[in-house]
Amino acid sequence: MLLAGVVLAGPGLYRQLPSIGEPGFVNFAAAILVLLGAVSGLMAHRQIRKSCDQVGASLLKAYQEGDESPLALNDRALNPLIQSVNQMMMSIRARMNELARKVRELEIQLKIVQLERDHAESILHSISDAVLVTDPWDELVLANESAARALGFDIPEEGRPPIDQILKDPKLIALIREMRASRSSGSRKVVEHSIQNNGQERTYKITLSCLTGDRQDASGVVAVLHDITREAEIARMKNDFVSHVSHELRTPLASIRAYIEMLIDGEATDAKQQAEFYEVIQNEANRLGRLIDNILDISRIESGIVKVNKQPLSLTVVIKEAIEIIIPQAIGKNITIQENIAPAIYQVLADKDMIHRAILNLMSNAVKYTPEGGRISVLTDVNEVEKRITVKISDTGVGIPPKDLPHVFDKFYRVEANNRMAKGTGLGLSLVKQIVETVHHGKVSVESVVGQGSTFSIELSLC
Amino acid sequence: MGSKTILVADDETHILNVVSLKLKNAGFRVITARDGQEAFELALQENPDLLITDHNMPRMTGLELCQKLRQDARFDHMPAIMLSARGFQLDENDTAAGGIRRMLSKPFSPRELLAAVDQVLAAA
Repeated sequence: MLLAGVVLAGPGLYRQLPSIGEPGFVNFAAAILVLLGAVSGLMAHRQIRKSCDQVGASLLKAYQEGDESPLALNDRALNPLIQSVNQMMMSIRARMNELARKVRELEIQLKIVQLERDHAESILHSISDAVLVTDPWDELVLANESAARALGFDIPEEGRPPIDQILKDPKLIALIREMRASRSSGSRKVVEHSIQNNGQERTYKITLSCLTGDRQDASGVVAVLHDITREAEIARMKNDFVSHVSHELRTPLASIRAYIEMLIDGEATDAKQQAEFYEVIQNEANRLGRLIDNILDISRIESGIVKVNKQPLSLTVVIKEAIEIIIPQAIGKNITIQENIAPAIYQVLADKDMIHRAILNLMSNAVKYTPEGGRISVLTDVNEVEKRITVKISDTGVGIPPKDLPHVFDKFYRVEANNRMAKGTGLGLSLVKQIVETVHHGKVSVESVVGQGSTFSIELSLC
Repeated sequence: MGSKTILVADDETHILNVVSLKLKNAGFRVITARDGQEAFELALQENPDLLITDHNMPRMTGLELCQKLRQDARFDHMPAIMLSARGFQLDENDTAAGGIRRMLSKPFSPRELLAAVDQVLAAA
C-alpha cells in the first residue's frame, strides 16, 4: 500500500525532486533509502512468514499423517532452521522405526511365549499323572485335568482358592503344607498314599517338591500324583501267587516227607501198607512235578520259547480222552457228564498235548466248582462257513461273580468268593488262555451266572 | 493216655491218613474231618481231648474253627495244635482265643507232631 502510494504519487513527486548538489538532495536520498529499506524489510518479513507457515504446515502434516518427508523449502534465512527440523525429523523417523521394530519383536516374543505356555499347558493337561501347584499361602495355582478327575474337584476358572477348599483328602493337604513349611528348595519327598474318590480307593505315589522364588521365603509346592493302584494290585497278586504256589508245593512235599519218615520208623504195619505208602510218595512226587511243569509252561509260553508240535487233530478225540480222565472225579461227586460232540472229521491244526491240557483243565474246574449231584455238559459247535469250531464246557456250579469275570483268565487271579470251594494256584485258566490264544491263535471266553453255573468256550480254526 | 481222643482236621487225604496212623499207632483214638465245618460238628458230637487242624480249609478255616469251639464252654480247656502249610503267623490274641498251644508247619515230621501232642496233653 505504501509502495502504491509512492508510485501513484510519482509524477508529482518527480517534479519536485531536487538535483544533485541541491540543498535538499541528501535528505531526499536518505528518505528514499529508508523507504527502500522498509519495503525490502516488509518483503523479507512476508517471505519468512510464508516459509514459517509452510514449515508449520509440513510439521502438522508430518504429525497428523505421518508424512515424514524432508521439508523442501528454499529460504536462505530459514535454511538452518529447516535443515535442523529435517535432521530432527529424520532422527525421529529412525527412532520410530527402531521402536516399531522392537514392538514387532516383542509381539513375536509374546506369541512364542503364549505358544510355549499353551504347549506347556496342553502337556500338563495331557499327562495322566495328577499335577498340583500351590503358592506360599497354600493356594492352588495350577491343577491339571488328571488332578481334577483323580481328586474329584473342578478346576477353578480364576483366582487361587485355598487348597483346603479344593482338596478333600486331609493327608494330601497336610503333605503339601508340610513340604511348603520345610522351604527346602530342590528337595523332594515321595510318599505312597491311598485316596478315596467317588467311593473308589486308588493308591498314588506322590512326589512333592518345593518351588523357591526370588525371595527366599517365597516357597510353593508341586505335587505329582502317579496312580500305582494297578502296580500295587499286581504286587499283591504276585505275593498271593508265591504264597499259593508255595502252599501247593509244600502240600505234596509234606506228604512225601511224612510217609518216608513213617516208613523209616517202621510205622507201616504190613507189606500192603508199605506198598500204599510208596504209592502215596510216588503220586505226590508226580503231583509236585505237574505243578512245577504248569508254572514252567506258563513262563515258557509267555517268553515264547515253548516247543509247539502242531498237527491236524480231531478235537472229538481229545475231548473224549479228557472225559475219560475226569470221570472218576465226577463220579466221586455224583456229577453227570453229558456230551454232544461233532464227528471226528472236523480237524484243527493244533498241538495235541497242549489242547488236551486246556480242555482237561476246564473240565477239571467244572468238576471242582460244581456241587455234588450237579451236571457238566461238553458240546462242540461247528461253523462251516467261517471254518471254526467251538468247544463249550458248561456246569451247574457256583458261578463267577460279574466283577471277577473279566479277570478269571489273568495270571494269579483267584475268585475270592469261590476260594473255599476248591484250591488252586490261579494258574490253570491263565494256562488255558495262553495255550488257546497265544499258541493256537484261537479264543477263550466265559459266561457265568452266580448260583447257576458257568460256560467256558474254546474257539479254534478248522483246517 | 491211650484213651484220649484226638480230632484231626485237614482237607488233604494223605495228611489226614498219615497223622491218623501215627496217632493210632501211639494208642490214641482218632477221629477225622475234611473241613472246618465238619470238624466243628464232629467236635460237638465227640468232645475230643485235643484238636489238630490245618488252617487253610474249605468252608471254615482252622483258626475260625478253634475260635468257634472256644466260645462253647465245653471246649474251654481243649488245647489245639495248628498244622498248616502256609507259614503264616498268628498273633498272641488269636492263639489265646483259639486255645492254640503249638504251631507246626508243613512239611512236618510225624515224630515231632507226636512229641508235640504228648507235651500239650501233659500240660493240659
